[in-house]
Amino acid sequence: MSALTQARPCQSDQVVGQPDEVLVAARAVGHRFEGADEEILRAVDVDVRRGEVVALLGPSGCGKTTLLRLLAGLLESTDGEVHRAPAASPAGFMFQRSVLLPWRSAMANVMLPRELHRTAGPEAERRARELFEILGLAGAEQRRTHELSGGMQQRVALARALIEQPRLLYLDEPFSALDEITREELNLELLRVLRTTDLQGVVIVTHSLEEAAFLADRVLVMRGSPGEVVDEVEVELPQPRTLEIKETKEFTSCTVHLRRSIRFGAQPR
Amino acid sequence: MHSASPSLDSLRRTAPLILTPLLFALGFVAMWGAAVEVLKTPEYIVPAPWDLPRAVPSDIADHVWVTAQEVLLGFLVANALAFCIAVLFVQSRIIERGVYPLAIALKTTPIVAIAPLLVLWFGTGLLSKVVAAALISFFPMLVNTIRGLRAAEPEAHELFTALRASRRQRFLRLQMPTALPFVFAALKISASLAVVGAIVGEFVGAKAGLGFLILQSSYNFETAQLFVAIIGAAMLGILLFAVVSLAERALCRWERVAV
Repeated sequence: MSALTQARPCQSDQVVGQPDEVLVAARAVGHRFEGADEEILRAVDVDVRRGEVVALLGPSGCGKTTLLRLLAGLLESTDGEVHRAPAASPAGFMFQRSVLLPWRSAMANVMLPRELHRTAGPEAERRARELFEILGLAGAEQRRTHELSGGMQQRVALARALIEQPRLLYLDEPFSALDEITREELNLELLRVLRTTDLQGVVIVTHSLEEAAFLADRVLVMRGSPGEVVDEVEVELPQPRTLEIKETKEFTSCTVHLRRSIRFGAQPR
Repeated sequence: MHSASPSLDSLRRTAPLILTPLLFALGFVAMWGAAVEVLKTPEYIVPAPWDLPRAVPSDIADHVWVTAQEVLLGFLVANALAFCIAVLFVQSRIIERGVYPLAIALKTTPIVAIAPLLVLWFGTGLLSKVVAAALISFFPMLVNTIRGLRAAEPEAHELFTALRASRRQRFLRLQMPTALPFVFAALKISASLAVVGAIVGEFVGAKAGLGFLILQSSYNFETAQLFVAIIGAAMLGILLFAVVSLAERALCRWERVAV
């Protein structure tokens, strides 16, 4: 691993890169789990560029979660290399389940990363309260997490992912356990957060065509076993996106394209 | 959700929980009394409930105190020790592999079989009973704590990994709180087992205590007094269980699934 990946969080705005600056680059990355012969991923190339939302889309078992973990550095790849620019950290994480600690209040859950890194303090608390406000959680600060609805729990998890003012957000099917309506709400919330914080990029794993098309600037379509990226689709829908976009022809043609890619591999543009 | 008068509200919820079993217990005692009256059972077989107060020996407090000490000391020592060993187990596979089979062997050996040895080694005083109570209380805590410390979901561990938490942070902020309900489940089990250990210890050789009183009463056909001693032993266990339950309510507010 290069020195890039070891870089510590960079809190200032000193890194003013080009708009096309690559934050995370995976080159010919492959993975097989220890002791297992089966290859999970093979020869995958991914760039995550500044200001981008990248969706990893594919059916279950295509290795998209593994790819996310490799990009995030939660897992070491067995083949190939992953480079992370200093501007890519700190990173925030969110999983399919909220993974909130039930013995803590919502606020204490959000403060957990700060506590672990010994950066909790009045400033962190102010930031946390701000996030509660932004994410529609105001008033829920002292609630126990099991008293909250699934959507609210994921909001708390999102707040926790944002408490350290990450540059990059890694989301592993974060809303897949929620009902359709709550999911759409949270998708909007995420796009809003993206515009109002100093977040530089998002990598999101999803198996929903709609979610990928709605959130992403670029969708990497994955399939097969071992998993491969079979298509790369630029989503050319206007920003900021609203739910009405889902009713447009462009949106539909995008999801149609994605569906075909998943089923048959790369599609002509 | 908060109601206007939370104390009244909680009273309304808990009152039936206490009153219902109390009424059933009263009903049972009444049936017992009626059965004794109707069947004319001699007092040395089954005394009537109202024969019991007369049968309470004057030195009952001493007997209760002796057994209570044995139970409490055994309970505390065993659980503290088992907890610490469980923490070690979870840190090291080697220690686990070596000690776990021994712990299971200890668990499967009946305490009644070991008790005579304990009296031989530690005498007829306090120590042999404390050890008996401790031996029988030890295993539930060991097993439950190990399970509890490993019960955190993989996703939670992944979160702590993603946040680059130290081993200590992971232990204190994730594993320990996850294990707490398991620890309390073990405490509840051993609260009643510790009484068994102490009584069995007293059966083998003792000069005082509820177990001693039970044997004495049985030899002398003082059945009413025997009943008193039995009820006393039960009360000890119930009291300890209640204290543990209260502590659990105070410390594990998030875990309402457990009994």
